[in-house]
Amino acid sequence: MTLTYRPGDSFAHRLDPRTKLGFQVAFAFAAFAHTTPRGLAALTLVALGALHASGVSARRTLWEYRFVAPFLLAGPVVAAATIGPPWVRPAKGFDTLLASYRVVLVLLVSAAYLRTTPVRESRAAIQRLVPGRTGRMLGAGVGFVFRFLPVLRADLRRIRDASAARLGDERPLVARMQLVGVAGIARALSRADRFAVALRARCFAWNPTLPHLSFSRVDVPVLAGSVGLVIWATL
Amino acid sequence: MSTDTASVELVGEETVQNVARAALFAALTGAFAYVSFPNPVSPAPVTLQVLGVFLAGILLGPVWGGVSMGLYLVAGAIGAPVFAGGGAGVAELFRETAGYLWSYPVAAFAVGAVVHGGVQIRDHAERHVARLVGAMAVGTVVIYASGVVGLSVVLGLSLQEAFVTGALAFIPAEALKIAAAVGIVRSDQIAAE
Amino acid sequence: MIETRELVHRYGEVAAVDGVSLSISDGEFVVVAGANGSGKTTLVRHFNGLLDPDSGEVLVDGTPVADDLVAARTRVGMVFQNPRDGFVAATVGADVAFGPENLGLPHEEIDRRVADALAAVNMASRGDDRIDSLSGGERERVAIAGALAMEPTHLVLDEPFTGLDAPARESVVERLRALREAGTGVVVVTHDLRDVWDLADRVVALREGQIAVDSPPVSARDRLADLGVRAP
Repeated sequence: MTLTYRPGDSFAHRLDPRTKLGFQVAFAFAAFAHTTPRGLAALTLVALGALHASGVSARRTLWEYRFVAPFLLAGPVVAAATIGPPWVRPAKGFDTLLASYRVVLVLLVSAAYLRTTPVRESRAAIQRLVPGRTGRMLGAGVGFVFRFLPVLRADLRRIRDASAARLGDERPLVARMQLVGVAGIARALSRADRFAVALRARCFAWNPTLPHLSFSRVDVPVLAGSVGLVIWATL
Repeated sequence: MSTDTASVELVGEETVQNVARAALFAALTGAFAYVSFPNPVSPAPVTLQVLGVFLAGILLGPVWGGVSMGLYLVAGAIGAPVFAGGGAGVAELFRETAGYLWSYPVAAFAVGAVVHGGVQIRDHAERHVARLVGAMAVGTVVIYASGVVGLSVVLGLSLQEAFVTGALAFIPAEALKIAAAVGIVRSDQIAAE
Repeated sequence: MIETRELVHRYGEVAAVDGVSLSISDGEFVVVAGANGSGKTTLVRHFNGLLDPDSGEVLVDGTPVADDLVAARTRVGMVFQNPRDGFVAATVGADVAFGPENLGLPHEEIDRRVADALAAVNMASRGDDRIDSLSGGERERVAIAGALAMEPTHLVLDEPFTGLDAPARESVVERLRALREAGTGVVVVTHDLRDVWDLADRVVALREGQIAVDSPPVSARDRLADLGVRAP
């Protein structure tokens, strides 16, 4: 599942990231409040509309999420099964099936966000939505997570390759987890220390210039729709 | 253009260090999600994410361990592929597995608070094996309690059904991770940091 | 101008820098040389207040660094050995912009500085490249651009040639020559003077945290081998 930003000029690309974050949360609330066949049918249309406005194919996105299917299908099966007669309670299974389906809808809407929003804008949204130093810390820290995730993944891959080369795969599980853990953490800590010195040298500050973000006319209908979803969810 | 240096509020040295470590541990926890081992007692493979949660609490302390896991969740929500199976997006925080994720900051805080006996970080806390194991047992309870409740709420299952689906098969492997974590924090290589 | 006065820095019992008094003028090209463990890196990390002295003091343009860390860090840019762990962003332009953003500069000024800094290291138009996709020499130059975007009077580079092949070293040397001609003071920390021999106005060689040699390269040449420094 690697749904990442792709440049484009769809309607959703032009929205402010704060609008899109708000819409996702409103959509999730509505999906949880109205987990009925009619409610979810309506939300299916909304989700398809969101995908369309983002230039994202629903079918391809579902394919990206195919790994989720076993988890979502296990739920209804467990719910329908019962120990002792009648063994199967279809009604209970159906309720959980609806619950699984709403998760699929929320996933689709969030895929539209990931496809149309660069990380830089998401960070800027966080720094504006969360006030003060907390927001600054979150926005910067999240950027650092993006920066170091591929670096540390490569570290762990090298560590595992090296340990497999030394017949590490035949050692007990705890010992292998320890080996990866010790080497992975030692590297992460030394990288963190060098990184911290570099941040200080570059005047890492609480009050930097933030990237441009501004609401425009295109945001209005989506913001109104989000408010509508939240109101509907509380009815 | 000259710079008005007086208006720049530098982040203090200690805080910079803590932010850097918190971000690196968040990234490491995400990288751990990709490392899986065959599980000796269950068909579900063991991934090391939860190890990241434990170690953040132990090595960074309750406050910065909790912050680190908060960064992990926010980074994942806006698109860093840090969740199980390389998942990302706001929806991950509303999925059937969301309960586990939401618990990570709390669990890291709890583990750190038990190991360090409070909110302040203490040196050499890793020397007490019983305390380490107890702390991680508390962390495991927090993660699975939240995970099972999440599963039950999101999928409309009863708590027993949710426990069978989302905890029974996975808890034995947590004991192995706790054992591994004890070895990791007491190893010479990490203790020297 | 960077000045240190009787600077001492200890790690436990060991004095890594042991009473160094040094003055580096604007526009000067200085090589700080010495064997591993001679105190080179520790010394230069005092130039912009990354370390606190155990005794003595450090001044940048007459102001003690501790009194105005922001001024010290904007005037003295620092490029670390193996800059890979110093990048804050995934792409070149976003990384170079980090320093000016921290100074709270307006967007147009940040854009101008990023463009100028990338041009100065021959990386203009590479702003959208991913840092992970760059070669070692290109990464070193992006790190230099990140420091230059602060518009420093002095640029300090710690072992900039380690791990670079000959063409990459040459590309970095050529940029340092251009900086020197533009009037930027350059301090290169190294145990191998061969790459910068022609550029250096002055060699300051350290031994056990003290200045053993401080002279133009030509008159220092004979004494460098004993100090664990390679010269051409």
